[in-house]
Amino acid sequence: MTKISEMPAVARGFISNLELPVFEEPAWTLPSPSGQRRVSVVTTAAISKRGDKPFSWLARDHRVFHKTDRDLVMTHVAVEFDRSAWQQDLNVIVPLDRLEEMAQAGEIGSVADEHYSFMGAADPVTMEKSAREAAKRMKHEGVDTVFLIPI
Amino acid sequence: MCGLAHYFESEGLATVLVGFVREQMEAIKPARALFLDFPMGRGMGKPNDPNFQKKVIRAAFDLFNEPNGPVIKNFPEIIPVKNGRMGYALPPELVLNISDIGDLNKLLDEIRVEMDTLRPAYDFAVKSRGRTTVGASELNVSDLAPFIAEFFSGEIPKSPRKGLPAIPLLKLVVEDLEAYYTETRTHRDNIDDLELMGKWFWEETKAGRLLLLLEAVSIASDNKVMLQIVEMSLMAPRFWSEGPLPGTSAAGW
Repeated sequence: MTKISEMPAVARGFISNLELPVFEEPAWTLPSPSGQRRVSVVTTAAISKRGDKPFSWLARDHRVFHKTDRDLVMTHVAVEFDRSAWQQDLNVIVPLDRLEEMAQAGEIGSVADEHYSFMGAADPVTMEKSAREAAKRMKHEGVDTVFLIPI
Repeated sequence: MCGLAHYFESEGLATVLVGFVREQMEAIKPARALFLDFPMGRGMGKPNDPNFQKKVIRAAFDLFNEPNGPVIKNFPEIIPVKNGRMGYALPPELVLNISDIGDLNKLLDEIRVEMDTLRPAYDFAVKSRGRTTVGASELNVSDLAPFIAEFFSGEIPKSPRKGLPAIPLLKLVVEDLEAYYTETRTHRDNIDDLELMGKWFWEETKAGRLLLLLEAVSIASDNKVMLQIVEMSLMAPRFWSEGPLPGTSAAGW
């Protein structure tokens, strides 16, 4: 396991100095039975449909894409992650095809129509309002399960 | 990401996340978390490997069977990283100076030839994959390098894209340029190796050289925004380097 203390100097300094949010009462929601779950993906890869407004560098807002969208672009500001993987296969960061296969096999109930993208470089505390708006929209289409994937 | 999970969970949605930095997950305590010992940018591990990707998803979704939380578990398989770095990093000693710029028009000509040579393989990659990630900047591929060269005066040029200032556009142009090269080679040569791709693009191509020269121009510039983009490691991959770029503090964040 790569520990922060073992990371190279620049990354170690940046990551160890991040102010992490503290939640006094960790939230806990009972999950639905697996075969009934309707799953939406939340990514912090700052991807969006081609033609959408690019994310600003410390964006608090989010973008929505449909489960059939494949023409996505990334406007993330950071350089620390590998972009060559998602260039080869969207599923390596947003596994829509895999989830659809699992839904067809009955491992989950269904894949939501809509999925959500945030800017991972921004402080999550500043995204609370936007996240709660996304949650409202998820519940409106019957989503009960959220799969969060960083970049 | 852990903070976002808390907001969704508190809205009555059951969440599970995957993550790359276990100490952060332990500190923030999201409801259900799967630690991945993978390079960043590869949440499902391996591109074009459906079985591996499903293993990650199933391991994450198994956490919904836990009766109590917060819970963190490790995904049992590891994708090794090099020397503790979770992405490619330029060698700290590879730093160019403005005296290295030489004939900029000649360099642009060389980049044009380089990109034209890659073009058939790029087009084939796009056709084969049915998608490309190039185009976030909305500039034509042939305009990417010339736009970057406009910054070599040390001043910020006018943005050709309405509603997007030149510096944020520059970031997208740099990413588009790199994506054009790496999308082409990963497909043409059937390789999936982030270290090899980083080394090739940044250390061996003419386009990479242009970007390292842009870095040199930024450091020498009197323009604070130009300097800030190198302080923040926004263009060149130095986040995982063993030391900050000479002339900067790497403290921009």
